[in-house]
Order: sequence, then C-alpha cells, then structure tokens
Amino acid sequence: MSEILKGRAWVFGDDVDTDLIYHNKYLAETDPKNMPQYSFEYYPGHENFAREVKPGDFVVAGKNFGCGSSREHAVYCLKEAGVPVILAETCSRIYYRNAINNGYPVLFVKGISEAIKARRINDGDMLEVELETGTIRDITSGQTYHGDAVSDLEREIMSAGGLIPYLKAQKKQG
Amino acid sequence: MGKTMIMKIMERASGKEVKVGDRVWCNIDWSTARDFGGANCALQFDEITNNEGRVWDPDRIAFTFDLQAPSHSEKVSNNQKIIREFARRQGITHVFDINHGIGQHVLLEHGLVKPGDVILGTDSHMNLLGGVAAFATGVGNTDIAASWLNGTNWFRVPETMKIEVRGEFQRGVSMRDFLTMLVGDLGAGGMDFLAVEFTGESIERASLSERITLCSMVTEMSGKIGLILPNGPVLEWLANRAGPEVYARVSAIAPDGDAPYIDVRRYDVSALEPMASCPDAPDNVRPVREIAGTSVDQVHIGSCTNGRYEDISAAFEVLKLSGFKISPNVRTIITPATREVMLQAAREGMIEKFLEAGVVFTNPTCALCTAEHYGALPSGDIGCSTTNRNFIGKVGKGSHTYLMSPMSAMATAVRGVITDPRDILCQGGN
Repeated sequence: MSEILKGRAWVFGDDVDTDLIYHNKYLAETDPKNMPQYSFEYYPGHENFAREVKPGDFVVAGKNFGCGSSREHAVYCLKEAGVPVILAETCSRIYYRNAINNGYPVLFVKGISEAIKARRINDGDMLEVELETGTIRDITSGQTYHGDAVSDLEREIMSAGGLIPYLKAQKKQG
Repeated sequence: MGKTMIMKIMERASGKEVKVGDRVWCNIDWSTARDFGGANCALQFDEITNNEGRVWDPDRIAFTFDLQAPSHSEKVSNNQKIIREFARRQGITHVFDINHGIGQHVLLEHGLVKPGDVILGTDSHMNLLGGVAAFATGVGNTDIAASWLNGTNWFRVPETMKIEVRGEFQRGVSMRDFLTMLVGDLGAGGMDFLAVEFTGESIERASLSERITLCSMVTEMSGKIGLILPNGPVLEWLANRAGPEVYARVSAIAPDGDAPYIDVRRYDVSALEPMASCPDAPDNVRPVREIAGTSVDQVHIGSCTNGRYEDISAAFEVLKLSGFKISPNVRTIITPATREVMLQAAREGMIEKFLEAGVVFTNPTCALCTAEHYGALPSGDIGCSTTNRNFIGKVGKGSHTYLMSPMSAMATAVRGVITDPRDILCQGGN
C-alpha cells in the first residue's frame, strides 16, 4: 500500500516551540477535540491557521520542530485538525515521542529547512506525500524531497496506532 | 569500548547490555505528573482501562501540584480535583498538593530520587534531576498513562556529549551565566536527542542548586538529559535524604574511562561575564553589559531553574548592597521553588527584608513559567526573569522577556533598568 496524500503546505521556520504551536494559556484543556482551535495562535503570520486549515493540509517546518514543553496538546491540536503528517527537517525529542505514541507520523526531511529559508517551498504549495517511501513532491515548485524512515520499534508502535494499542497488543500475544 | 553514564543507567533499568541507538524498554522508578497534564493522564488511564484499571504500583507514582498552585480558575481547580480523586481511588499516597512547590525539587528534597533512577514526569524540566545523576525526562500524558499499565517505557539509547568546565566564576557571575552562554553557543537544537555529561573542576565544586540550574536548561538545547555524578557535599546531602544506597549507585553508573563521546567541549569560566537571553528565544544571547540601560516593567526571580535558596540568597546580597531599596518603577516578584526553600529564607530573615523593600514574595510555585498566572505581562511590557524560556508571547501576547541570573535580575530591580550586577557588587553599593 503506497497511499499518496495530497494537500496544501503551511510553512514554518526552525525551532518552532510548543508555545507557538499550542500556547500554555490553554493547558487546562483535557479534551483533544477542543484543542485545534488554539493551534499556532501565537505564531507570527500564521495566527489564522486554526480558522483556515483544512483536513489534509500539511505542516512543513525546519529544524527542531516542537522544542520546549512536554505538552501532548501540541500533537493533539494538529492531529485533530486533520493534518496527516508533520514534515520537518528534525523534530525535538519530546515532540517526536508524543507523535509516535499517538500513531501520528513525523517525517524528517533532509534539506527542507534550507528550502524554507530560500523560499523554495511556500505557504499554499500543493504537496503529494507518500508515507511509505517518504517521498514528498511539491507540485507547485516541481521540487522533490525525501523523508527518513523511522526505526523498527517506532514503526511497530506507529502501525499499532500508538503506544497504548501497541502495549495492549503485546499483552494479548503474551 | 566502555560505557557512558546514560548507557549504564539504561542497562540497570532494562536488565540488558545496550549500545547507542538501541531501543530499550526500561523499568520506571517513578512515574509522576503535575497539576498540568496530571488530569489528562488520569482521564486517559481510566479511558484505556474502561475505568477498571489498577496502576502497576501506587508507591512508584507521585503527583505534584506546581504549575498553577493555588489554582486560579475553576477549570484548573477541577483538574486538580480529578488528580486527588484518582490518587485516592488508586491508593497513591505521594500526592504533594499546592502547599509544596515545584515537583522535581519536592521529590528531591523528600529523598525520593537516587542516582541512576529512571523518572518520568509531565514537565519538560524533569531532567534537572540529572543534577544528581537520575535519568528524569519530560514526557506527554500518553507516556505516563502507558507506564502506569506495567511500569516500563521505551527509550532510544542516546549518544553522549561531554562538557568539561574549569575555572572560577568572578564576583557577580554565576552558573546561570555559564549556562546562558552555552545555550547561545550550541543553540536551541544543539543537544537534540543527546545525553550530556558535565564534568571538570567547576562542576565538581558546584553546589546542588548550581547543578540543578545547569541540568534544567539542557531542555533549552533540546537535550535528553544532562548528568552530573554526585560527589562531595552534594553526595552527602543526597545520602542524608535518600539513604546510603546512593553511594553504591554512584559507583555503579560512573562513566568508564574509555566511554564513547560524540563530542567533547571544554569551557573556562574565569573570564565569563553576566549573560542574558534576549527576546524572544533562549539562544538569543548577549552580555548583560551590552543591553544595560534597557527599561523594564517587571522582574521575576524563581522557577525550577533558579528558585533555590542559593538563588534567592544571591539576589538578597545584591539588594543588601543597594540599601534594601528597589526601583519604584519595577514590579519585582520572588517565587521560591519549594516550601523548604521558603522556610529557609524566612528563618534567615530574608523575606521580611524583601517585603520591606517592596518585593512581592509569593508561595512556592512555577508561577511565571505560565501565562494566565499571577505576573502575566500585558502587551508592550518588558520583563526580566530567571525562568528558562522567553518564547514569543510566552507570559503574555506582545510582551518580551530577558532571561538572566538572580544577581542580574535583582540588580535590574534595584536600578529599574537592565543592570550588570557587578556595577553594584564590585563597587560596594548603589
């Protein structure tokens, strides 16, 4: 199965911290379904993200996406908004864990940080993403990028749908 | 090839030999949650176990109330209630309610943390416990809820960076300044996925609070854990609190002489000057001298990074040399990390002097590390703070924050503009 996802790009820079993704003002929220409305509210130039994002759109970012807090809200708010995958040069380690543990894919994309800075990839570009192979095609610009594959354990957790379903399945197998 | 400290810790916790890059399942010594994230963990655990699940070991779980203590809204109060009820139902007795202070510090003071422990918490600065060589890490609620099922979780065995520090700080310069310099040098992603060992004569001499400061800010370079092997008075303190077992633990996790490091960096702090993280990122670093004279509206001293007794005491010294007067144009707030710290400051007579000078001295809490708490800044205001993050709008949309040491922050409170503390400390007064 090599499903190709299609959607628009929302482009962010390096070191996007968790307060920019999901501000600490809204940490008392406990229901993931209520979280998308606050996504990127504090990100200069993308304050309208929560209102305008469509299911299927991609978040494209540079290095160290999701640095800062351990709040899982910053994963839920994008997952629940229907963003199918995060495409980032690298992801900060806690954010990466939280994503994997929720069966939420993150692709580490070589060269995307430079491409963002050089404006070779821009807001609104149409992208095609093949999760299986990690291939990303920017239809608007004609550029192609490649995302790294994850390790075996992360892949197993992801395909189980996240850490909790993975552990439950392990327990059944005994 | 020998083993680094984190490799030895993970071998103990997983019961098998490890190499860098392996994914291992580690037994968890403590799985903790705060008033932030704690309710999410409790609700999630109930949901995945159809409200019938029992946690793997109620004596290995702790709750700490620190982010919003006391609660400032009904929503937060309700979250705190969810945690108290969950703890009662599950027989969890380590519940440190709103009168205790910042979670990791409270666990440490209560003798619950030992070198080599693996500790989870819903706080990205859990890793300050690396200051006593525990592998403590901030995680999301799913990691916590999953660990409550069977007391384990998965980790990647990280590469280790070694940082050797030598030299003595000049008067007016502190570990926070070294750290700020380091964050500027390595950048926000400079330690992503890495473990770090801090060594060298300056580290061996460092107090517990200095070690905590250093390890807490590893998070601001996206590191997994900063580790310091306890020695001297810190080791004695730890043994008094956590029991004599800590001596054997320290020997067991000491890194081998031929342990593999992907990077070794050496620093000399003798010529270091006071440093600040300028708006709006911890790695936007300049010497305090270069930004001196900038007007500020509020000064805050506290947080898990710089809220210990030694930090408050350093600020007190600056205030004392200034005739116990702060600028009337600046709102100055001091927040001790824990009740123990606050009691010590009270017994030393410091709190009375701070209050007389016009400082707001609060209960122990995370306070200004979160917006929507007291001290939030209005748009356009400039803050100076000893907290660890000054991300865009973190403590109030449109506000900006400079991060600095307790001495620099108090010097700034005294003069009403950003001030190099050496101007006060080295010239005998205001």
